Amino acid sequence: MTQWSDYDVMVIGGGHAGIEAASAAARMGRATLLLTQSLDTLGALSCNPAIGGIGKGHLVREIDALGGLMGTIADAAAIQGRLLNRRKGPAVRATRIQADRLTYRSVTHTAIFGQPNLQLFQDEAEALRVENGACRGVITRGGRVLRGKTVILTAGTFLAGRVHIGEKSYPAGRASDPAAARLAEHIRDLGLNMGRLKTGTPPRLDARTVQFDRLEAQKGESPLPRFGRFRPAPPPLRQVACHIAHTNPKTHEIIRDGIPCSPMYTGAIEGPGPRYCPSIEDKVVRFAHRDAHQIFLEPEGLDSMEIYPNGISTSLPLDVQIRAVQSIAGLEEARITRPGYAIEYDFLDPRSLHPWLEVRAVPGLFMAGQVNGTTGYEEAAAQGLIAGVNAALRCAESEPWYPMRHEAYTGVMLDDLVTTGLTEPYRMFTSRAEHRLGLREDNADLRLTPTARTLGLIDESRWAAFESFREDLEAERAYIHATRIYPNALSETEEDALGGTLRSPQSIAELMRRPSLGYRELVAIAGDDRRPPESVIEQLEVEARYAGYLERERAEAGRLRRYADVVIPQECDYEAIDGLSNEVRQRLIQQRPHTVGQASRLPGVTPAAVSLLLVHLRRRGWLRFPRTQEGEPG
Amino acid sequence: MAVVRLSGPNTQGIAGAIAGRLPVPRYAALRTFRDADGAAIDRGLLLYFPAPNSYTGDDTVEFHCHGGPAVVEALLRHLVQVGARGAEPGEFTQRAYLNGRLDLSQAEAVAALIEAETGAAAAAALRSLDGEFGQAVDAVADWVAAVRVELEAGLDFSDEEAVEGLGGGELRGRILGIVEHLEEIHRRAALGVQVGRTGDLTIVGAPNMGKSSLMNALCGRDAAIVHAAAGTTRDVVTEPIRFGGRSVRLVDTAGLRSGEGVGDVEVEGVRRARRAAAGALHVMLAVEDGQRLDEAAESVIRKVGVERMTLVRTKTDLGGGATGLRDSKLVGLTEVAVSAKTGEGLEALIARLEEVGGGASGEDAWAAKERHLAALDRAKAALYRACRAVEGGEEMVAEDLREAQDQLGEITGRVTTEELLGRIFSSFCIGK
Repeated sequence: MTQWSDYDVMVIGGGHAGIEAASAAARMGRATLLLTQSLDTLGALSCNPAIGGIGKGHLVREIDALGGLMGTIADAAAIQGRLLNRRKGPAVRATRIQADRLTYRSVTHTAIFGQPNLQLFQDEAEALRVENGACRGVITRGGRVLRGKTVILTAGTFLAGRVHIGEKSYPAGRASDPAAARLAEHIRDLGLNMGRLKTGTPPRLDARTVQFDRLEAQKGESPLPRFGRFRPAPPPLRQVACHIAHTNPKTHEIIRDGIPCSPMYTGAIEGPGPRYCPSIEDKVVRFAHRDAHQIFLEPEGLDSMEIYPNGISTSLPLDVQIRAVQSIAGLEEARITRPGYAIEYDFLDPRSLHPWLEVRAVPGLFMAGQVNGTTGYEEAAAQGLIAGVNAALRCAESEPWYPMRHEAYTGVMLDDLVTTGLTEPYRMFTSRAEHRLGLREDNADLRLTPTARTLGLIDESRWAAFESFREDLEAERAYIHATRIYPNALSETEEDALGGTLRSPQSIAELMRRPSLGYRELVAIAGDDRRPPESVIEQLEVEARYAGYLERERAEAGRLRRYADVVIPQECDYEAIDGLSNEVRQRLIQQRPHTVGQASRLPGVTPAAVSLLLVHLRRRGWLRFPRTQEGEPG
Repeated sequence: MAVVRLSGPNTQGIAGAIAGRLPVPRYAALRTFRDADGAAIDRGLLLYFPAPNSYTGDDTVEFHCHGGPAVVEALLRHLVQVGARGAEPGEFTQRAYLNGRLDLSQAEAVAALIEAETGAAAAAALRSLDGEFGQAVDAVADWVAAVRVELEAGLDFSDEEAVEGLGGGELRGRILGIVEHLEEIHRRAALGVQVGRTGDLTIVGAPNMGKSSLMNALCGRDAAIVHAAAGTTRDVVTEPIRFGGRSVRLVDTAGLRSGEGVGDVEVEGVRRARRAAAGALHVMLAVEDGQRLDEAAESVIRKVGVERMTLVRTKTDLGGGATGLRDSKLVGLTEVAVSAKTGEGLEALIARLEEVGGGASGEDAWAAKERHLAALDRAKAALYRACRAVEGGEEMVAEDLREAQDQLGEITGRVTTEELLGRIFSSFCIGK
């Protein structure tokens, strides 16, 4: 690969979506270019210095299972980690780590610069090169034309980004980085359906001015939880604590007094912000009865002199920010190093996308990350990976691939985005996943790694380690299903352990469903001596816990999927369907859902409309049932 | 009077062609309805309901004309000439549903009203049309959602200080409270399904026990062939009758007998009789007064169950005198003695039949469909599972509650994750 030749895949943007997209396409053997305004900010954690969390940790595990970068980098940069929901079931347990910003960035640089097939270039994209309706390259500042078969745009908040602090505002993509104004204009000119969203970030504090000894400390867990599996752990960094502070009625009074100057309330910001990540002024207004809100003081890094006060995102004027912060116990002396701000930016209505993130109206153009209306590093990274994979598949003239709702949180997100669209920045929650008990951090590899291997995303050594785990697991699964425990062979103590007499012989697998019984106890009762790896035992016990649910879900899913996976031909003539309301008809024509399942999830599409659609498909001879899938991961 | 209703996007043009200027919306005005040549068809009232404030949600016009078939026919013919077409059965309701004027359960209640044959079923259909059934199901779905809001907030936002989560005892208590309401809804819906269903009153018994005579006496004319030779009724004979405001079918069957001298036709008849008895609303077992029950009769009693059966002692005019209602030796089996010939005991039998099936009043019934009952059953099952899962873990309870809500949503057609999230975000201050 030489400089300036035709590229297969060109990625615009070096954030979490961009680096996953570029590295996935490159790993799949495609000549890939990563084009960014600033190579120095590759892998920057623009908002809080943490990766994972409930729902988000699930995404990181999926990215990792698909051979992506985020889990590896986060593991290497972790300076504190916890498994959230430890006291709740394994399906909702999630890993979250605090990252050292500098390490995160340097590990990202190493991974990206060390990736074969991937070239990097620093320049600003100003326009896309569209030929015969298809995207064929990028035009950078000064009119330089870069040719490529596909383009992945991961512009984050940079498209027409505008930062607001109090009554002041200026164009910027992030803090003081320049916004991509020309590109935003060009994208709007392409006729794509763009909208405005808003998000915010808190002020940063000078760590030396915070009185930590007066605040409650929250330490991480030991051993440090990890995202990555099937490869050696990175050298651990020194572990640090977070601290917890609280706002008080005085703080709230200062904020209330400042609200007339808040751009959210003066009307200066039009785009809606996320309800789950409200600014402190929103919290004070909407939850007026609460006289305290929690703030997590997160260290920005091991050697950093800055603190990220998670919980007081704000766009109030700087002087109000200073007074509000200094009204908080432990922060009386605190100095702000960077002001909090709100940022408004252009996003693409994700309903304009195919589920594999290609823009419907512009073949060859993919979009991923915050530009599609999501929020969060993890959501962006997962989309980047999917876009990278599919741009690479497109170059190979292969069918697109993307996970379904029952296969991955990533699939839930893609389906939600392209089907329902959004009214606020989209963030992952486990409650979005109707197959939550089957979509766990612990089985992400089992769910996705085999597909990733087929796609060419998983290297030999990783695959060998995974295969060895899977073989052990399958051997033990076979053993617990085949081995029975007989009532008459039980001693009294064994009966006690089983919680009562057995009526008939039962397999270890069946008995493991009882909450009190583990693999080890049952193997001992069966009189066997087996020592599979700890990870295999854990997996079997989680599977046993949910076996009843997953079996029922599988039966139900089979019934529903019979229709849900029925493919609607793209030439489907919705105009010809009798009885559809105009609104539903327009939505179907606009969206052109790929399956009946997608059609049924469109807003306004009622069960009656779905049955009309099915009748139409049958009448046209288009009603083809896909083959039923067997052996889904448990 | 007859009312002809016209609805759809071209209503204004078509109605204008027939009746001239349209009146002020929702006010009746006197108009002459004319055909294409300007000849008067009729003079009547015209009402105009512009979209979206009409039953269907589209522009709608009502022609109130004089009820003679010739007038109505002429009006319909000319409506078609100027561009209208006859509605499919239920099409107005379908359009109302598709235009968001009715929810699914209301739309189905209208369908039930159209199909309703009996007064009780019609009343049940009307109550559902008001949305009572849909509202009751919605209310329960809403309580499920309220529990889910707290549970899901506890799962997705457990690291937030504002979220406290639910204790096991409270969780179980709230779910059981919901189940109680659901049981009541289920009872009233099941009643509606039962009222809406036309039941069979089936007569079974050994050959020549006077079953056909009994049937003829009950429906007052010769429906079944009666002959002294055993085995005359070789097939199932049915006759629709009305009991206490609902229509039922009276079913006469071939005698139950096995053994020598019975041809294949009768064997088949016996098979059908057993089957008819198995699916009947109520079964009358005819036995000649003074005779013992044979094996075949006893097997039918066991199969059908005493609460769904009346033992009819027939031909009381031949033997001892009629004794009226008395308890049989078989525990719980009700006995009535009847003479089809003299009519003795018939009134007691009719009273018994009205009591056991014909007269089910269905006063508080809701017009529900089998589909609704199935969804309610699945919702109930999911809620009971949720109670059991409280020991196991919140994420499993949450799964069962999601299913319960989805099942309830199959009746009223409204459930989204976005709504659930919206409730979480407005209930709890979330977001660090």
